[in-house]
Amino acid sequence: MSNIAGKAYAMNVITPIRWYTTWTNKLFFKAALLIPETLKGLLTLSLIHYARWVIIPRDGFPRLDPSQPKEELHYAYMLFFSNFNGSWDQYVDSFTFAIPSGLDLFWKWNIRYPKSVPLTPFHDYIRHNQIDTAHYYNAYPMAASNDVKSAQKVKKALIDFNAKSSDKSADDFLKDYHMLLNNLQHDFGDMKPTPIVSLSSYEVKKRYEQTKA
Amino acid sequence: MTTNLDLTDIQGNIIKAYGAYNFQKARYLFLRINNGDKGRQFVDAITAKVTTAIPWGKSENGDVAVEKPRVTTNIAFTYSGLEALELPTASLREFPDDFMMGMSKRKDILGDDGPSDPENWDKIWKEKVHIWISINAPDMDALIERYNWVAQQVEASDGGVTLLTGHRGGDDEENLPYQDASVLYDESGNPTPKEHFGYTDGIGDPVFEGQTNVAARVLGRGKLMRDGSWAPLATGEFLLGHVDEAMEYPKTAPSPMLLSRNGTYMVYRKLHENVAAFNRFLDEQSKSFSGSKEMLAAKFAGRWRDNGAPIVNAPDDASKDEWDKAFEAADFAGKKRMLTDFTYNNDLHGAKCPYSAHLRRINPRGSLEYGVKEAYETPGALVNRRRILRRGLPYGAVKDAARDDGNHGIIFMALNADIQRQFEFVQQQWINYANDFKEGNDKEILLGNHDTKHPSKAVLQVEPGSGKPPHFINNIPRLVETRGGDYFFIPSITALKLIAAGMVDPT
Repeated sequence: MSNIAGKAYAMNVITPIRWYTTWTNKLFFKAALLIPETLKGLLTLSLIHYARWVIIPRDGFPRLDPSQPKEELHYAYMLFFSNFNGSWDQYVDSFTFAIPSGLDLFWKWNIRYPKSVPLTPFHDYIRHNQIDTAHYYNAYPMAASNDVKSAQKVKKALIDFNAKSSDKSADDFLKDYHMLLNNLQHDFGDMKPTPIVSLSSYEVKKRYEQTKA
Repeated sequence: MTTNLDLTDIQGNIIKAYGAYNFQKARYLFLRINNGDKGRQFVDAITAKVTTAIPWGKSENGDVAVEKPRVTTNIAFTYSGLEALELPTASLREFPDDFMMGMSKRKDILGDDGPSDPENWDKIWKEKVHIWISINAPDMDALIERYNWVAQQVEASDGGVTLLTGHRGGDDEENLPYQDASVLYDESGNPTPKEHFGYTDGIGDPVFEGQTNVAARVLGRGKLMRDGSWAPLATGEFLLGHVDEAMEYPKTAPSPMLLSRNGTYMVYRKLHENVAAFNRFLDEQSKSFSGSKEMLAAKFAGRWRDNGAPIVNAPDDASKDEWDKAFEAADFAGKKRMLTDFTYNNDLHGAKCPYSAHLRRINPRGSLEYGVKEAYETPGALVNRRRILRRGLPYGAVKDAARDDGNHGIIFMALNADIQRQFEFVQQQWINYANDFKEGNDKEILLGNHDTKHPSKAVLQVEPGSGKPPHFINNIPRLVETRGGDYFFIPSITALKLIAAGMVDPT
C-alpha cells in the first residue's frame, strides 16, 4: 500500500451524506463548472494535479457480479479524489488556509463535517474517512504537476521557435532567442528527486534510482 | 485573541532579540543530565536567574517594567532532556514527532547532506545534549561572570549535570565547552548588523498579537490583509497555549496546559558560511551580469548588503541611489518602515526581487496568489502559518577571506509553535525546493543545499515582454553548511518551576 508515488500523493475520501440533500451539492458542483471563476483558488494552488468531487447515490455502488447481494445503504456518499504534490499535511493545510469557504460549500450537509476551520477537527474528519491507496502508478515520479506543465510549454515553444528561426539572420535569431527565453523564464525549474514526501517513505529516492538504472 | 501576554511568565529570548538591546555578545552552553533529582535541582538554580520577557526601562503604557539587566540567561531542553528530568510519560508522549526525534534524524527533510551531514557536525553533537543555556551580555565581562556562575551550579550539582565540550573554535579548538557568538564590528570598532557575507541581518521579524507597540511594528511584519493593511499574526503561531491562525490552540502542546502554555519550540543551528566560495562566486557571476556587483548580491538576498534596502523597492543601481536619499532623510520610524513595509504586488514576475532570492523564499508575503485577484481567503493564506521568529548572532571571525575552512558563520535560532509546519516547511519546501514558486527544484541561492554533483542554477527574472533574456546563475556552490544543532523546548517560568519541582501532573 502506498498513497505516495514519486512526488505525488493520491487521496481518496468518501463521506456519507443524506440522499435527499445531495441535489444541493450537485448544484454547487455544476455552478463551479459553469463559472470557473469560483475555482480560481483551487486552480492557483500549484501543488494540485486535480481534484474531483462525485456524488454516489445510495443505490449506485457497483457490484462485481449480479450474484453479489445489493447493499442496503442508509446514506448516499460523496467521493473526493485528488492527486497532489507534497505531504498530506501540506496539502490539507494549504486547502484549509486558502479556500476554507469553498471546502465548506462542497462538503455542506456531509454527515459530521466539522467545517474546515479550526484545523484539527477537519484533519481528523478527512483522515477518518480517507481510503488509503492500494496501488498508485506515476508516469513521471520526479515531476510535480508544475514541472509537467512547464515541460509541455517549453517543448511547444522550442518546436515553434525551430520552425520559425531556420532562415533568420544571426542578429534576428539572437533577438528571437532572447524573446524565447523571456517567454519561458518561469519554466526553467530543475527536476531532482528531492524533497521526500514523508520520512516514512523513501519512494522518491528509490524511484529515482530505478529511472537511472 | 490574546491581547495581553503574561510577560513575567515568558522567557525573554522568545519576545526579545537581545541584539537589538545592545547585547552584543552571546554564549551558548549544552549540558547532559546524569541524574534526575540533581538535574532538577540544577534547573531550579538556573530558573532563579532566567530572564523573562518583561519590558525593560520605563514603558509607555504603564506596564510593569524593570531595569535592564547586565546579562540575560535562558534555558531550554531537548526531548531526551525532558526524559532525563523524568517528566511523566503521559506528558512526554504528547510532544510532536519532530521534537521527539531531534534535528539530526530529520536530516532528509532539512537537506542536511554532504558537508552538512550530521557526521560532519561539531563533536558536541555526538553527545547526549539535554539542556541549552544561553547567556547574552553587552560585554564579555558580564558574560563571563554569568558563565562562571553557571559553571558553579554545574559544580554544585555534584555530577548531576555535565557541561558538554566539543564546540569547534576559531583557533583550531575542537573541544570548547561553549559556543560564543558576537555581533561583527566595523573597522573603527563599532557594532554592525552584518553577517560574514556582508548582508545586513535581522530585519523584519514577525509581529504577533500581544507584543508591545504592535501598531508601529506590524507594517510588513505581520500578516497582509485583503485591503493592503497589516495585522499582527495570531499569538499561537509562536507561543503554545494561545489561539493560532487556524483558530485553535496549537496541537503541539503537551498536557498539562501549565507545562506548555507560554512556552515554544526552538531550532538551534550552527551555520557555517563559506566566505571565500561566496566572494569567488559573486565575483565570477558579476562579470556577466549587466548591473553592479552589489546589485547582483542584492538579487541573491532580496536586500542590498549595505543598508538592507529591499530590492523590490530599489531594483537597480540608479533607483538604489534614490532610495538611499529618501532613507537618509527619513526619521527613525520612517526608516524602519522603508525596510519592512513592502509587498511583491508590483513585482509578480520577479523582475525586481527574483523568485529564488532569500527574502522572497522565506516570506513570500502575498505573492503566492500570483496576481490572481482574491484567489485565496486572504493574500497570505499560504504564508501566515509558515513564519518563524529568528534569533541569534554571527560567530567566529574571517581570518583569511580566501579560505572556507575557518570557523565563522551564524548561530541561527528559529522559534515557532510547530517545527514541522513552520521551520521545517520553509527549509524543505521553500529553501531547498521551489514548487510553490513554480521553479521546480531550483534552490534558494544563499541557503540552499547546493551540491556539486547536481550543480544548481537560478533564474533572475526580467520584465516579461521586454524581449530581454533572464539572467542565469550557474554552478552555485554550497555557501552555507550546517555544523550542528537540535530541537529544543523553551518552557515558561511556571513550567520551569514545575519541572524543577518534579510536579508536572498531566492527571
